[in-house]
Amino acid sequence: MMVPVRCFTCGNVVGEHWEEFKARTREADDPENPEAVLDDLGVERHCCRRMLVSHKDLVDIVAPYQ
Amino acid sequence: MEEYDVQFVDRDDREARFVVRPISPAFANGIRRAMIADVPTFSIDTVRFIENSSVMFDEQIGLRLGLIPLTTPLDDFEVGDTVTLSLDVEGPDTAYSGDLVSSDTMVEPADRNVPIIDLKEGQRLEIEADAVLDTGREHAKHQGGVAVGYRHLQRVEVVGDRPEFADDEANILRGVIEEDGDLVPTEEFDHDLTNRYPESELTVEDVPNAFVFHVETDGSVTVDDLVVRAVDTIESRANELREAVQL
Repeated sequence: MMVPVRCFTCGNVVGEHWEEFKARTREADDPENPEAVLDDLGVERHCCRRMLVSHKDLVDIVAPYQ
Repeated sequence: MEEYDVQFVDRDDREARFVVRPISPAFANGIRRAMIADVPTFSIDTVRFIENSSVMFDEQIGLRLGLIPLTTPLDDFEVGDTVTLSLDVEGPDTAYSGDLVSSDTMVEPADRNVPIIDLKEGQRLEIEADAVLDTGREHAKHQGGVAVGYRHLQRVEVVGDRPEFADDEANILRGVIEEDGDLVPTEEFDHDLTNRYPESELTVEDVPNAFVFHVETDGSVTVDDLVVRAVDTIESRANELREAVQL
C-alpha cells in the first residue's frame, strides 16, 4: 500500500527515497533510467533496490472502499 | 591494555570502512555483534491514536512509526528513557516522518521524507507516541547499525608471469588490499586484479589478524558513536565477568 519504511532484508531506510525515485522514473515527462536514479540516490545493495523498483502505491485504489 | 591500530579507508557520518589490527576473528565478530545488538537507539514503541480515519489500521501505522530512525544522543539518555512525539496531519496531504513533533529537540526523526500515510480529503491522523531507548537485542527496530560486516584484509603477490596460453579471464576480488603498507579499495581497479597487475600470475592471501569493517548506520547515531559504544559494551561485560569470577 504505502512504500515500506525499511528494506526487508538489511534494514536500510528506503522510504526516504521513494518520492524522488517515483517522480524521476515514473512521473517525469522525460523518465530517467531507474538504475541511474538508484545509483544517484545511494541505494546500493540489490535488496534495497528491489524495494523501490517493485513497489506500487495502492492508497488511491483502496481509498474509495473505506 | 593492548593497543590496536585503526586506519580509515572511507569515513562519513553514516557510512565508514576501516581496518583494525591486530584482532582475532572472534573479537572482530564480537564487535560486529555488539554494534548490531548492544548499542541502544530511540524508537517509537507505544502509540496513542486520537484520530485515525486513514486507509490503514492503527497497528500498521504503529509499525511504520516504529521503523523511523530517531536521532539518539547517547550521552544524555539511559536505556529505558522515553521521549514523547506527536503527529497531526489532515488530508488531502501526506504524513511524513518530518511531521513528527518531538518534546525533546535532541530526539528527532533522522530522515524527514519517509511517507507514513497518504491522506485523502476528510481523512485525519492524530497521534501521540512514546519513543523508548532500548537495544537491538530487544527489538530489531532499535538496531543502530545497518548491514554491519567485516572481511579479511588481503595481500596480493605477483609470483610470476601469466602463462602464455592462459585464458583471458577477469580475476575478481572485492574488499580492500594492502600494497606496500598502503590500503587500496578494490573499486580503484574495478574489482578486477588483471587491471592492476596485467600479464602476471597472482596469489591472494589474507593478512593475519587484520579486518576491514564496513559499518553503516540508519542515522540515529554516527558511525564513530556506534563503534565506540559497541566496544564499550564489550569492555563493561568483560569487567563484569572478571568481578563475577573473582575469589
